[in-house]
Amino acid sequence: MNIHEYQAKKVLEQYGINVPAGGIAYTPAEAKRVAQKLSSRGPWVLKAQIQAGARASGRFIEHEAGHKGGVRHVTQITKIAYETAQMLNNTLVTDQTESHGRLVSKVYVETFQNVKHLFYAGMVIDSSISSITLLISEVIDERIEQIVEVQYDKILRIPLKFDASISDKQIMQILDFLSLDKCYLQSFHDFFGKLLFTFINLDAQMIEINPVGILPDKKLVALDAKINFDDNALFRHPDIVRMHDDFEEDIRELRAYRSGFHYYDFGEGNIGCIVNGEGLALEALDIIKAKGFSPACALNVKGGVDKDKIADGIKLIMTNPRVEGIVINILGGFLRCNLIADGILSASQDVGLNMPLVVRFEGTNKDMARAILEESNFQVLFADNMNEAVDKLIEQMEVND
Amino acid sequence: MSVLADKNTRVLIQGITGIQAAFHVKKSMQGGTNVVCGTSPKHGGETHLGVPVFNNVAEARRSCKFDASVLFVPAQALKHAVREAVEAEIPLIVSIADGVPVHDMLEIKAMLNGSKTLMIGPNTPGLITPEEARLGIFPENIHHKGKIGIVSRASTLTYEAVLETNTVNMGQSTVIGLGDDLIIGTDFRPVLGKFMEDDETKAVVLIGKANSSYEQMAAEYYAGLANKKPVIAFIAGESLPYGYTMGYAMDIVTHGRVTVADKKKIMQQAGMIVVDSMNDVHQTLLDLKL
Repeated sequence: MNIHEYQAKKVLEQYGINVPAGGIAYTPAEAKRVAQKLSSRGPWVLKAQIQAGARASGRFIEHEAGHKGGVRHVTQITKIAYETAQMLNNTLVTDQTESHGRLVSKVYVETFQNVKHLFYAGMVIDSSISSITLLISEVIDERIEQIVEVQYDKILRIPLKFDASISDKQIMQILDFLSLDKCYLQSFHDFFGKLLFTFINLDAQMIEINPVGILPDKKLVALDAKINFDDNALFRHPDIVRMHDDFEEDIRELRAYRSGFHYYDFGEGNIGCIVNGEGLALEALDIIKAKGFSPACALNVKGGVDKDKIADGIKLIMTNPRVEGIVINILGGFLRCNLIADGILSASQDVGLNMPLVVRFEGTNKDMARAILEESNFQVLFADNMNEAVDKLIEQMEVND
Repeated sequence: MSVLADKNTRVLIQGITGIQAAFHVKKSMQGGTNVVCGTSPKHGGETHLGVPVFNNVAEARRSCKFDASVLFVPAQALKHAVREAVEAEIPLIVSIADGVPVHDMLEIKAMLNGSKTLMIGPNTPGLITPEEARLGIFPENIHHKGKIGIVSRASTLTYEAVLETNTVNMGQSTVIGLGDDLIIGTDFRPVLGKFMEDDETKAVVLIGKANSSYEQMAAEYYAGLANKKPVIAFIAGESLPYGYTMGYAMDIVTHGRVTVADKKKIMQQAGMIVVDSMNDVHQTLLDLKL
């Protein structure tokens, strides 16, 4: 689960990490009031709150939003409301958003920080060594994945012990890497110790501070903040769950998630896939692509036991406007195939399905499942394996054309 | 022979009184799995599925002998259950739990490190030696005793691999699901090692995924083995946009860009037979003339 920058900063502040003073605003007038409260003279920074990076270099789709990006430096209090109004209720497109962008519904107002040095800090989990790993880089304002691709050696990686604090030796490593004097030892130690504590205490999967600033008094300040929490550990953090912003999610992903399933939208393509298990989803995509077609979306109903929830999930695929054909691959074990057959019937009655559908059932109750579909008047094709299922589907889709 | 578990393996069930355990353990026992006792807090002294139940593993240890444990405990309780098993020095444990917090896995890995316990899972259908031992929730009606070892990082694709070996009547020696999660108890290496030593296993099918480093680690290990049996490898997720996170993608950040194509090349160079589709597995097995 992700949260907004302003929420992440509040979380960091609770753990004693230095962040710029700021406040959230939903209207231009509110933004002005927040700015006045923060400082009488400014300057201020206005930051569009969407859950995607590269906001500064992003652009708004609408003309009335002006030519500036989603992070705006403002020196006069009279300009705060005007700049906020330009961003609010308009659509910001960045390198990290979908091409249709994200609607900005709130703006974070901060006091501008005078810093003398900036760098990137991230904390992630490295599965190959089962360890939390600290990432440091001098390259800022860029996506870490991109830095990895072109400048792998520009990142310092330090594995951290799960139960221990950060050692002075490790902090010295960071200072050396950033060519900074050891007079910063104390403030770096303080900052990264608190960051690790936050990471562990909140079951984070990733924290990125891009960038960290060094203030004239040598203290560090988090100028941006991104935290991703482990969904599996949210039961321990009801206060974090309350920060969830439904409007940031794809409605189908959200509904699938609430049913206990996973829905993936690939942003293109015309074949919908319903499978039970991540491996089967990957296999479906690979086979469809290898045949020169393109998957639109996939639903993973792994672990499904509730007939109604399964039907709801299937509807998400059936009602995706890009989908022109559906392939279903179920290897029943824990999940019984007959529940899927019932789900297909109930969902198609609700939404009125008018497209080809090919099913492959294997494992628990597969004969029962097939009988359910055969006895209904529902048009469905059967296949013995995934390869054959996709072939049959493509053939039907071409007939329909 | 087979690997890790056979008909002589004495099995403990942690969390034996749960509904899922009752359903699946009963099936396992009907199939010949040697279940000797179980644990469940506050149920000590009772009998379930015909075997004695103890309050915890330490108590069970005092009255019973066992070589393996299947953990039918929910994800939130896994850490505690593993600690009990590790302290009792159980050589093999299998966890089917889905949704284990990743930080709990970091702690579990620390417990396992240097211990006498090998952990399979979590988030796996488990381990099955057909007609001998079923430690987990594998559908029992698709497996046949035979000579192909299967080890997989993609639970449901494991079944596909089983069906592939069935179509050419080769059957399975042992089938092991390592688990779908970011962090797993055991990676490919120890299991590959066991398969190489097992007389009954003539070849191995290995199923990996995009977005982790376990496959490269397996390749490196296999390259260094003195005595190799053929390994047929399949990596799922080649068509995913690079870096697309269906699950986790952290290893991209920590280890740099390794695409599925790169992975396949690394595995080929290590001497594995890499196939592009699961449906190619049966023909490849035939070609090996085992």
